[in-house]
Amino acid sequence: MEKIVETILQYAQKLVAEGVTGENDMISMRSGLNYMYVTKAGVKLADLKEEDVIKLLIFKVDKEYFYHAEIYKEREDIHAICQCYPKWVMPVAKAGATIPAVLDDMAQIVGPSCKTAEDDIHSIIKTLKGRNSCLVKDSGCITSGRTLDEAYTCVLVLDKASRCFVASSVIGENKIINGFEARLMRFIYKTKYSKKNQQNLSQLEEGEKQQNTSAKEEGEV
Amino acid sequence: MAWDKETELKLRQVIKDSGVALLKENLVQGTWGNTAVRLDEDHMLVTPTGLDYISLTPEDMPVVQISDPSVWSDGKKPTSERKIHAAIMQARPEINATIHSHPLFCSIMASARIPLPVMSAEMEKLVGGECRVGAYGLPGTKKLKEGTVAAMQGRNACFMANHGVFCAGKDMDEAFEIIRIMEKSCYEYIKECTLKATGETTYSDELLFDYFVSQFDERGKKIKAGKKVDVAKVTDADNK
Repeated sequence: MEKIVETILQYAQKLVAEGVTGENDMISMRSGLNYMYVTKAGVKLADLKEEDVIKLLIFKVDKEYFYHAEIYKEREDIHAICQCYPKWVMPVAKAGATIPAVLDDMAQIVGPSCKTAEDDIHSIIKTLKGRNSCLVKDSGCITSGRTLDEAYTCVLVLDKASRCFVASSVIGENKIINGFEARLMRFIYKTKYSKKNQQNLSQLEEGEKQQNTSAKEEGEV
Repeated sequence: MAWDKETELKLRQVIKDSGVALLKENLVQGTWGNTAVRLDEDHMLVTPTGLDYISLTPEDMPVVQISDPSVWSDGKKPTSERKIHAAIMQARPEINATIHSHPLFCSIMASARIPLPVMSAEMEKLVGGECRVGAYGLPGTKKLKEGTVAAMQGRNACFMANHGVFCAGKDMDEAFEIIRIMEKSCYEYIKECTLKATGETTYSDELLFDYFVSQFDERGKKIKAGKKVDVAKVTDADNK
């Protein structure tokens, strides 16, 4: 099994185990500049098999994979995407609200806030500008990263932050971390982990190079 | 060093097992959270930084000096939160095991910086009263450490503002019981508050979701403030 497929299968299992998946979850990883490996639309992550991870040319995809392809085209810094529907994220996406920095792990890993985009690609690309995650109106969330681990961690953190934000409606307002401290934590986190992620990325790209030389250059492999 | 090798080996296994148990009970996520056990008056074993609890081995746990947590030996690099574990062990000689984690319902209380009233006789017995919230401080700072120590006075648990929960016991079994009752009590509290806010009699997550969504207009702007729940009323209702 190709390393990139193995990684996707591994993280699909982790998302399922953490209970942050819904009905139409989809995860993908960039392969070079022009390709992505993505989980087949309509296949639940819990039921995912090796043959359900497909390789697509990002310039030629069916509509189910359009959001992932467009994000990779627009953002060369993004190497992995999780499109998930965690239970507690859904009411925030339904409300179209912005989650503020309610927890310090959110400030570090997601950023000082997470906005809700309209369910169209232009709004999603715009909302993701300078960020790695957003919610999608009446839908779920899209998280991204330099590695799949980063995108996966964002799903967990967003789910927990959403719980805090939603429950605050009955226990009192969240006390938000002030903007300066939230941005400082985000800066430190990015600086501290960029080296680690860079290492992971280099290993991954090395593996991809080997795979790409043997893979057929078709729309789907 | 005032401990024997046999005790150390046993305690290394205790930390390893507690990490796995925390994961199994969904009281910790991934590599987050950390635990410590006392070896003697001035030494403790802690979990290393950034390693998952399944692959962690008993030999990975470093020995940290309680009076100066920058000093450590054996094992892998200790958690950056070791200063808080050390401060609690130094201030509280009766404490031999500590757990810091971010369980889901405790995190909700921590993010709202709301103290948790005594929700049951079991909580009263294990925690020692209402659970306070420590002052907010950036991770790894003196402010966070001192805020946690102050909130733990006379208690076996406290919330760390916008962060998580800290629990301490005479041994790891007790610390574990405390984090378990904290998560359960936070869940009960949120359920009670949801029923009070909505006027319904049966709790469901969907009830809370609908109430939350009703506070926003179609553009995602908040049009109603969150409920300021009367903590005493929630506790009274629970005690009836």
